Amino acid sequence: MATIVVGISDFKASQNSSDVLITYALGSCIAVVVYDPHARVGGMLHFMLPNASLDAVKARENPCMFADTGIPLLFKACYQLGAEKKRMIVKIAGGASILNDTDFFRIGQKNITAVRKIFWKNNVFIDKEDTGQNFNRTVSLGIADGRCTVKSAQGMAREL
Amino acid sequence: MLDKILRTIERIPAFPATVRKVEELISAGDYSAAQLARVIELDQAIAAQILKMSNSAYFGVRQPIRSIMDAVTYLGQENIIRAVRTAGISRFYHGPLKGYVPTAVQLWEHSVAAALMSQILFQKLYRRRNHQLYTAALLHDVGKLVMGEFVGESFQKVMERVIHHGCSFLEAEEQIIGINHAEVGRRIAEHWKFPEDIKEAIAFHHRPDLLEKENKTIPWLVYLSDQICLMTGIGVGEDGLAYRGLGEVIEKFNLRMRDVEESIVELTDQLEAARGLVNIE
Repeated sequence: MATIVVGISDFKASQNSSDVLITYALGSCIAVVVYDPHARVGGMLHFMLPNASLDAVKARENPCMFADTGIPLLFKACYQLGAEKKRMIVKIAGGASILNDTDFFRIGQKNITAVRKIFWKNNVFIDKEDTGQNFNRTVSLGIADGRCTVKSAQGMAREL
Repeated sequence: MLDKILRTIERIPAFPATVRKVEELISAGDYSAAQLARVIELDQAIAAQILKMSNSAYFGVRQPIRSIMDAVTYLGQENIIRAVRTAGISRFYHGPLKGYVPTAVQLWEHSVAAALMSQILFQKLYRRRNHQLYTAALLHDVGKLVMGEFVGESFQKVMERVIHHGCSFLEAEEQIIGINHAEVGRRIAEHWKFPEDIKEAIAFHHRPDLLEKENKTIPWLVYLSDQICLMTGIGVGEDGLAYRGLGEVIEKFNLRMRDVEESIVELTDQLEAARGLVNIE
């Protein structure tokens, strides 16, 4: 089994059934996990910020930093491996905040809103979601069966 | 356990004298590059790290730095102080670290990220750098080094209070261990004879609102830098996001959401360039 780490502002796609994609300690960032059960192709994006309009130069250098430039890249990479949009299962996790942050930066919240908007505009349904609240999440995706687990500091890993 | 922690602080090795000597020499003003290089060269560990750091993209020196004399010549005074302090502090961040994060190096990564962020914010706000702030941010979690040695099973109890009783991590540490890592950090800084500003910033890095004195920017910026790094998940430990947000920090510095987002983008650039500061092994 090969564990492939998805870093911050990074994505990985795979069709190798022995691969497990994993990203660690998501805070306000979000992991977008996609899987085509028919083609057995999966991918994971770990983005930091909602909109590439913040810094166009940076967005060209590293599109995975932002939701609106990273998500298309993730999908395209999966299509190239044989995945099809209509079969893709989409899950998202992350977007946490610090404790009682009513007026704090809300980057987590902004990220959640951005992802939902992008998928809604593109007629993609988000199948499962574990977002918000105030703890870190570690997310993994097994390419063999599309099993997606979320582990938080609160304890046990659970399937998403 | 509290006693053990306090006794351990007394036994921590002294802060590297080389760092002090360099600071004194530079603040006295009347020194030659050769003099400065000699002081640094006497400390082999620090000298080796300075060489490595000087060649990292972070300092942006175009020509290869082959000797300490090169480093002193090309880095400039401000950067030499920063590099020497970073090298001096990094030696304490080795080995395993029970409880808080798996290894001290992870805590180091978080510390460097917070220190870089503190300068990004200070530059944004005041158009210059501040090396007291840099040092305070670099040391903000130093208390975890000592706490990690002793928490053992109590760490589970601390997490228990965070998860089931809605405590912040700091409150939970106080309830279970009798002291929090920020206060332990302050005492370590005292043991190392750091100036008041730095001690204060370490002690209040999660609660700068408790500082009575007005207009203290350093503790608030250390707080903000730490929180932004924790939020973006850079070098986070088990304590994760379990700290109370102090919304007033945004108004205090008149920051917009966009400023914070831009700072995060800049930090990822700088972290890439600063590998020489992070990789201390």
